[in-house]
Amino acid sequence: MTSLADFFARVEHSTMAETVRDSTVVTGMLSGLHLIGLTLIVGSSLVSLAAIAGLIVSDQPVAEITRATRRATLFGFIVSLATGLLLVSFRLAMSTASRAFQVKLSLILVAILFHYFVFAPAARGQQSVLPPRLAGAVAFLLWLSVVLAGCAFILFE
Amino acid sequence: MAEWLFHLCEQIEATSLGVFVRESLWGFPILVAIHIITLVFSVGIVVWLDLRLLGVSMTGVPVSRVYRRLMPLAFVGFAIMVVTGMTLLTGFATSAYKNPYFRVKLIALLAAGINAFVYHTNVERRISLWDRSPLPPAAARMAGLISILAWTTVILAGRMMSYTLYTP
Repeated sequence: MTSLADFFARVEHSTMAETVRDSTVVTGMLSGLHLIGLTLIVGSSLVSLAAIAGLIVSDQPVAEITRATRRATLFGFIVSLATGLLLVSFRLAMSTASRAFQVKLSLILVAILFHYFVFAPAARGQQSVLPPRLAGAVAFLLWLSVVLAGCAFILFE
Repeated sequence: MAEWLFHLCEQIEATSLGVFVRESLWGFPILVAIHIITLVFSVGIVVWLDLRLLGVSMTGVPVSRVYRRLMPLAFVGFAIMVVTGMTLLTGFATSAYKNPYFRVKLIALLAAGINAFVYHTNVERRISLWDRSPLPPAAARMAGLISILAWTTVILAGRMMSYTLYTP
């Protein structure tokens, strides 16, 4: 436990963390970029669901659309992960003790695992434990829940 | 600063709705959560129409079809986003009035609105000529680019606003 507390303290007092903490502009911009990343993820999962449900194309394969949404999801995830790490870097101990943050991290983990092991194979037409539409709907709701948990974290921290 | 506008903001803040937003235990967090969720939902959809207009994604699908199938969902989100945003504003109207990022957000929202209006009244009128084209004409691509930039600015300014709203 002590080594983890030491690690948190080292991160919180790093130059990078102190730069983020001491600048409202940096913190605000990182928060904005974090939300843009999440916007890309949620929008992509919704468009994937619409494509799989046949709402966008009914007479063509949806592979082109789901390939593009997968790339956008990955890009959005990299942006939100990088900015999210920087945003918690100066309050790591407090964040990890927050119930809302713990829920957000758990939901991210579940969303990633679900995305790669259930949704992605279903979207590609491969064998999956859930039918494609249901997998798309669950993936969308999971990412939306991540945003909701993030709201709870910033509002009640 | 226009004095009459500031007084109007003070009056708005003094309404029972303004007091509720500021003082209720759950009113503010619930409104903020709905505002952010609907923003993520709506802008997340609009981006895909913009990418189609830019000729980057869904190039095999007619632009009109992408619009028809996706935008009704976005409009529902936008409507809720505007209502929650304006309700939140009643609680902090004077702080928002003095906040530079709020002005940037309003300008970006106005730019997004004008861009959509110009697209519908001009560019979209000749859509039959380029609806199925993988790369729409320059005017349509410009509309897509302006939309992405405007909404990016709205989100960035919105978050900056929440970090600076109470700073004297």
